[in-house]
Amino acid sequence: MKSLSFVAALLGLLAGPCSALSVVCLPAEFKPPPVFKNTNLVHVVSVEKSFAREQINVLVENVSGEPQDEYFLPFTAEQIARLGGIEAKDRKDDKVGPFGVDLVEYSSQSDVQYYRITLPAPLKAGAQQTLAISWYYLKPYRPLPASIGQDEQQFLIYDFSLYAASAYPTLKQKTEVKLSTVTIPDYTKYTNSEGKEFPEKHGSKLLYGPFDEQPAGAVYPAQIRFEFTKPVIHVSELERDIEVSHWGGNVAFEERYTLYHRGANLSTLFNRVKWAQSQYYNPATSALKELKFPLQIGSVDPYFTDAIGNVSTSRFRSSKREAMLELKPRYPVFGGWKYPFTIGWNTNAANVLRNTASGGHVLKVPFIEGPKQVEGVEYGDVTVRVLLPEGSENVKFYTDLPNSSIVETSVGIHKTYLDTTGRTAIVIKAKNLVDDFRFRDLIISYDTPLAGTLQKPLVIFGSMLAVYAAAWAVGKVEVGFSSK
Amino acid sequence: MAVETPKGPALGYTTESTRALFRVVILCFIAAAAIASRLFSVIRFESIIHEFDPWFNFRATKYLVANGFHKFWDWFDDRTWHPLGRVTGGTLYPGLMVTSGAIYHALKTLTVPVDIRNICVLLAPACSGLTAFATYLLTNEMTTSPSAGLLAAIFMGIAPGYISRSVAGSYDNEAIAIFLLVFTFYLWIKALKLGSMLWGALCALFYGYMVASWGGYAFITCLLPVHALTLICMGRYSSRLYVSYTTWYALGTLASMQIPFVGFLPIKTSEHMPALGIFGFIQLIGFIQYVRSAISGRQFQTFLVTILVATFGLGLLGLVGLTSLGYIAPWSGRFYSLWDTGYAKIHIPIIASVSEHQPTAWPSYFFDLNFLVWLFPAGVYLCFQELRDEHVFVVVYALFGSYFSGVMVRLMLTLTPVVCVAAAMSASQILDTYLNWKSAVPPEEQEAPKKVKGGLRGSEKPNVGIYSNLTRVLVSGSILIYLLMFVSHCTWVTSNAYSSPSVVLASRMPDGSQHIIDDYREAYQWLRQNTKEDAKIMSWWDYGYQIGGMADRPTLVDNNTWNNTHIATVGKAMSSREEVSYEIMRQHEVDYVLVVFGGLLGYSGDDINKFLWMVRIAEGIWPDEVKERDFFTPQGEYRVDDGATDTMKNSLMYKMSYYNYASLFPPGQAADRVRQVRVPDQGPVINTVEEAYTSENWIIRIYKVKDLDNIGRDHVNAAAFERGQKKKKPTKKRGARVLRVD
Repeated sequence: MKSLSFVAALLGLLAGPCSALSVVCLPAEFKPPPVFKNTNLVHVVSVEKSFAREQINVLVENVSGEPQDEYFLPFTAEQIARLGGIEAKDRKDDKVGPFGVDLVEYSSQSDVQYYRITLPAPLKAGAQQTLAISWYYLKPYRPLPASIGQDEQQFLIYDFSLYAASAYPTLKQKTEVKLSTVTIPDYTKYTNSEGKEFPEKHGSKLLYGPFDEQPAGAVYPAQIRFEFTKPVIHVSELERDIEVSHWGGNVAFEERYTLYHRGANLSTLFNRVKWAQSQYYNPATSALKELKFPLQIGSVDPYFTDAIGNVSTSRFRSSKREAMLELKPRYPVFGGWKYPFTIGWNTNAANVLRNTASGGHVLKVPFIEGPKQVEGVEYGDVTVRVLLPEGSENVKFYTDLPNSSIVETSVGIHKTYLDTTGRTAIVIKAKNLVDDFRFRDLIISYDTPLAGTLQKPLVIFGSMLAVYAAAWAVGKVEVGFSSK
Repeated sequence: MAVETPKGPALGYTTESTRALFRVVILCFIAAAAIASRLFSVIRFESIIHEFDPWFNFRATKYLVANGFHKFWDWFDDRTWHPLGRVTGGTLYPGLMVTSGAIYHALKTLTVPVDIRNICVLLAPACSGLTAFATYLLTNEMTTSPSAGLLAAIFMGIAPGYISRSVAGSYDNEAIAIFLLVFTFYLWIKALKLGSMLWGALCALFYGYMVASWGGYAFITCLLPVHALTLICMGRYSSRLYVSYTTWYALGTLASMQIPFVGFLPIKTSEHMPALGIFGFIQLIGFIQYVRSAISGRQFQTFLVTILVATFGLGLLGLVGLTSLGYIAPWSGRFYSLWDTGYAKIHIPIIASVSEHQPTAWPSYFFDLNFLVWLFPAGVYLCFQELRDEHVFVVVYALFGSYFSGVMVRLMLTLTPVVCVAAAMSASQILDTYLNWKSAVPPEEQEAPKKVKGGLRGSEKPNVGIYSNLTRVLVSGSILIYLLMFVSHCTWVTSNAYSSPSVVLASRMPDGSQHIIDDYREAYQWLRQNTKEDAKIMSWWDYGYQIGGMADRPTLVDNNTWNNTHIATVGKAMSSREEVSYEIMRQHEVDYVLVVFGGLLGYSGDDINKFLWMVRIAEGIWPDEVKERDFFTPQGEYRVDDGATDTMKNSLMYKMSYYNYASLFPPGQAADRVRQVRVPDQGPVINTVEEAYTSENWIIRIYKVKDLDNIGRDHVNAAAFERGQKKKKPTKKRGARVLRVD
């Protein structure tokens, strides 16, 4: 019964297609009005994975005389291109929301671009609110040294600003850098006005600050170089097809990955002897050896192929508790190498599809289901295509991905498997996702009228009859000369 | 078992339509059995294109599907035979690709989403079902026994001789060509029997399709005239023969000339001359027949002699003259090797180096045909008993087919249809005779039943018959056992010998589970993803098509082997010292060199074992620079261990195969498992190329050709410097002391 109420709640959300492009146009000479003050700010930079996550927890105060509901966050144009999954929420109270996050477009020439965060309720003059804004940077690192031996450690460099970028003056702030390692050979040092030297190093964490009051737009370029002897996985393109079949009671998934390793290149060419010998003691390596896909429980018939056919080095463990697909690429993927591949599997429709009381259907699938790797995976362009049964109508969909990640959505027609009118195809394009969004859902509700369901059997039956009738008619035709 | 069901005449109560229904159902089962028995490789491995040539056909099909027919027709492929390129559209038989392309588009119109690869993989099994049906039709023309056709169909469906070239994934020209061959023969017999222009035209149509599909069409081009000539010599000239032959030749030749690769060959090469000659001859006979009906006997004698002498003289003179003037090409080398099995080995090593061009070993007849081998002569004997026009065809076909199959292993394929037809005739003869329960009549009343009709001496033996049921049970029972053994043999052979994709190797893990060795694709995929789009790959020609198909990279030579010199160049690069090879590789802009090395795994089809062919082919062009003798020890052994000759050890191929190999083993234990020898602990030193990738089991080794040294050293010095060796001081040359004379 819980699921039913859940479905009902969702249907309330399915008001209509989510707004495709969350871009606000503003005049070219736009400057954010100085209506806020950051009373206290904590900037968390996390470089534990192959993408970087930044978060600012900020206590904002309305310093203007009127209620305000628009908070602007500045980024450079280059950052915007690599930025994804920006989200805002109230740090103190999860129930407050939703926050609107939109890219502000006012001048393509300007190096500073803004995201506009719309507060759910205008902040009264002099009032304070704690915002938690988080986002991800893709392709954030560069390896140094740029090329390493195949058994050497890999080091990455991350550039950031010690002062959190803000369009408002900040009274007090701290910056915290989280890493996955304690080996941090180089990092920017900072001495504040009192002569205290930062950062403090706590294991795999670096703490900077607190800093003094900084004006709006203050930056302090910083750099950190850390060990990351793990693959730096970048999926430049992911195409995900989900095909729903009511007749077969089956939902088929297929995902096509274009995977790159963005880490340090090999300084010498690949040496098989060294590689084979290193397999005995399995040291940390920057090469990608294995990908683990935790599929939804109940997934069956997985396959793993690439441009030239099946890849035999995969394993699928399926039980009541897990459905783990373990893939080994044909070759260890080193820095600068590329490995595109395709995987697919089926699942029983009952696992992901529900019927509503009104006779409609609701499909709930994860938006992305990529591999679960310790080092994390980032996705450049993601295209999810859902094929609903022929004749589906009244389609509504919803996803709880950050709004700003969705680039484009469309509903069209796709013909396959003896279709006559074609299936309803929903295409959602997103960009700059990371595998932290693996649990975000895509929910689609639709109706299939009886006529649509029966259309295909009838068409096939009719055409077979027509073929037989034609064959019979042709057989009746006398082609030869009569012997009489 | 489907074979046993047709007992047509014995079941007196069945009506004609029930029998027809039975026959259709049985034929469908036969087709299903034919298809199913070819799917071993798909079930065991995957839907994958096999071996070498199919990869090219597959690539060409993809090109056709992607770019359309006209572009395919004009396709100039600059990704093979670098830097020459290949006029692919004009040098291939397009029938196969066009067939799959048509199927692909038909399915696409029906909105059935099917991968072009799956069409290519399953085309051969699908065609084998059709072949079985065509064999049924052909056999039915030979005999009145209704079971013979069905037996022939199932024989054809599962005979290993045909399966060998038509398992799923073996996407080669033969896949559809055998169906076309059998069907063309059927149409020919039909046309000949009826003297029908319509059937003759259909025969020509399918002949044209056959020409578009396989170079083996020359077999039809020669067999039909030989059949016609035999008939004429037997005094069986008839207007039926005239009509069918003339129709077939005129239309068929026109059809064949539409294929760019064939073009004007039908009137320019000696292989096609028999057909043309018989065409003229049959006109002559037709004319003589007409004259004979018009003038008196005496005049006719004179007329006949004059005409015959004149025509033959003129024809022969013309042929010799045109050949010597170069208008008609003399027999090609490949054709000579059909008559003299030693010819290719001496003159065209490139043909001899292909294993399927070797003469057939005797056991392979039994291997490929099992008990059909001894039923076959019996069937041919039965043909002699009746010897109508169509039986003459079987006899002629049997004769030529047997000969050619003995010359080249792959021509076993063309023999198989006639073996199936003849064997089915004899098997059905036995079954029809011994399964006839009604025949036990007293000898006085009636002659033995089911005695052959109109045989040579049949009517002189009145008291032959089968009286005891024991005999019946014994004979038909033993035939049944043979049939069952045949089925199990075919299944075993197909499963064990013919179903390996050879791109993927299978081995067993200690626990008995299957382990797949996928080195080829591992390396090809690496090449495809991690090298430049236009990186030129040098390898021995065997792997050219696979590199083109799987790695999608330009190659220097491939299995098309149209340019012997280019292949010899690669052979020279492989068999020469590094410095010589490096020059060749620079000249050909080679980026990577790929060698196949089976030493670690015991994979015997590797490049070291093929190496002598490279040497021989290179020697054919550069006898002064490459000498086969230098690769043998003074004792005449071909060795790769410590005792290998210096030429061998310094050859690029040897170095690339064994480079760094010994370091995989503990000292003193490095062994080559193919040649069963211990290799030296100190592996070869390699200077001009560097190891770029080696697959997991070392089957494929890829080397990158080094660029010129930055500061102008030669590669030996540069590599020595890298290894940290001291530069050898040039020994001071002191000239002979001379007296100063100034």
